[in-house]
Amino acid sequence: MAARTALRRALPYLRSAVTNPGQQLRHTRSLSTTLPYLTPNVSSSTSSSSSAPPEYAIPDPSRPTHFGFETVTEGEKRERVAGVFTSVAESYDRMNDLMSFGWHRVWKDHFVASLNPGFSPLTPGPDPRGPQHILDIAGGTGDIAFRLLHTAHVVNANPSVRVTISDINRAMLTVGKQRSASLPASQQAALTFVEANAEDLTKTRPLHPYPSASEPTSHDAQGKEEQAFFDPATATAEIPDSSVDLYTVAFGIRNFSNIPAALREAHRVLKPGGVFACLEFSKADKHPLFNALYKEWSFRAIPLIGQLVAADRDSYQYLVESIERFPSQEEFRDMIVDAGFVVAGQGFEDLTGGVAAIHKGMKPRA
Amino acid sequence: MSSSALACFAGATTARRILLRPRWPTILPGTPSVAAPCRSSSACATRSIIITSQQCDLLPRPRQRQCEQQAIFFTPNRSYHSHDHPPPPGPFTHAEQNLLSAAYVHVPSHGFSQEALALGARDTGLLDISPSILPDGVFSLIRWHLYTQRTLLAAKAKDAVDQTAAVTVGDKVEALAWLRLRGNEAVVGRWQEALAIMAQPSYVPASLKELASLADEILYLAGDVSVDPSWYTKRASLSAIYAAAELFQTTDQSPKFRETRAFLRRRLDEAAQAGGALRSVGEWVGFNASAAVNVLRSKGVRI
Repeated sequence: MAARTALRRALPYLRSAVTNPGQQLRHTRSLSTTLPYLTPNVSSSTSSSSSAPPEYAIPDPSRPTHFGFETVTEGEKRERVAGVFTSVAESYDRMNDLMSFGWHRVWKDHFVASLNPGFSPLTPGPDPRGPQHILDIAGGTGDIAFRLLHTAHVVNANPSVRVTISDINRAMLTVGKQRSASLPASQQAALTFVEANAEDLTKTRPLHPYPSASEPTSHDAQGKEEQAFFDPATATAEIPDSSVDLYTVAFGIRNFSNIPAALREAHRVLKPGGVFACLEFSKADKHPLFNALYKEWSFRAIPLIGQLVAADRDSYQYLVESIERFPSQEEFRDMIVDAGFVVAGQGFEDLTGGVAAIHKGMKPRA
Repeated sequence: MSSSALACFAGATTARRILLRPRWPTILPGTPSVAAPCRSSSACATRSIIITSQQCDLLPRPRQRQCEQQAIFFTPNRSYHSHDHPPPPGPFTHAEQNLLSAAYVHVPSHGFSQEALALGARDTGLLDISPSILPDGVFSLIRWHLYTQRTLLAAKAKDAVDQTAAVTVGDKVEALAWLRLRGNEAVVGRWQEALAIMAQPSYVPASLKELASLADEILYLAGDVSVDPSWYTKRASLSAIYAAAELFQTTDQSPKFRETRAFLRRRLDEAAQAGGALRSVGEWVGFNASAAVNVLRSKGVRI
């Protein structure tokens, strides 16, 4: 029910994009600003010193970026992504299972196992550097955060590990909050839900309850109707510099309006030695036959499944288009290095022939 | 290996050009390269074959890291010894080298384990979570041991060969294989664990590749210049003998691993004998076959 109202809210954007194609073409500057590797003068922009962010890494709501195969402004993308995820929040997990034949669980389990959160060598006395703090960005429904907590608290028997789930979208966070009710109390106590825009983590606020089905709209303190996505003006807290041991983002960074800005923000909040870990769809170009089958599945079957199961074709059309638009493993690895991280080996690990990939980077000691 | 194989089949001239040059100086690490260092990251990418990570230190600071990364990402993993190019920078990035060399100190007490990695990370001022960037976890630590011991071999080879007054290729091979086995001394108590990890299916290809590289390195340093099929049989038999000797070493209690040395010598002698026997049989078969053909021709058979 809530999904329907949310869809209604998101529809004007989608409809205007369809009925008003001229709107897509109004940009005048190069449209690749969120993906610096496409700009012609890439060598000059990457050579600027790492302390001052290059121009493309500063969020600008009016700058053009991708929304699936369309070109929109960064501000508009934020709203439309919010619309997409508000409308799919409730069916999100069921759809993931249908689209990937349940395989996304294997990817997520492998992702968390390879990070081994909460592991600590047996030394006399507690770790002088304090307990681990994990930040799960775009963690919405808690899939990754709950796994991280389980590995840290149960497998590695380290109950001091804290996890902060952050998402720009209140509907997704609310689903996660509801699901967390089935966790053991000790794990619930280690969880925090915050609303934040990953491109600017200096502005966060604790999760406000999202309007229920019976009360479709809510109003903030000033009596204005609240947006589905986080409004920085309502921020009450921040994530300080060098405060996070592990920053994870799973199937989320693709939807960010400005990826370089988010990477730099990750670099800021991580402690020296902290790890940035990203699980994201990627390119399976190395296996042409498999890739052809995979493309066929994603462009024909997934929007259809979305229509049948979640009654929302447009959102899933956006999903497959955004996967197609996301940079390749090597390009994204270079973006991570550009943001100041160091990587090990080739910097990424392909899953299922490259359909998804895990990227990891470490913030070096200054 | 494949490139060397190509060189073999491309004709003896090419192969001789690659293999018959002076042996010692070129394999030593830190050999200066013939080309000027790259000025920009794009130049790095295009001329990557001649970049080593040391050369990146000459660049302005902001470009260094990118250059270092690219020196590793774009350098093709050359699998033969070249006299014209410096050795490739190796499979480890700077971040990995720091983490692994610090963790390696803890291997004798904690084994090839997550504990050693985390303690190493603490020693270098990093966090317990930092080693999770390593692509293969503890196997990266094992590979670090294999890689560093193999590359150390080149630097120590000349002294070791001179000491034993080895003359023939076979003697040099034995001296070098023994030198490599002694490289395991520090971690020999933990080496069975490492072998168990290396035997896990996903790590078997990388482990075998490392074994092949070691056999190739030993034969190259010993001055083997064969350009016939024995190029393969020598490497295959040395790989098998080395692996067996290493396994023997993990349970060897004798002082200074004297038993392992004897084991190694026996196996190499047997291989030499088997090789000699095989050659004799081949010679006998060849002689008799040609004799038989000649007898038949003398009887008027058109062969």
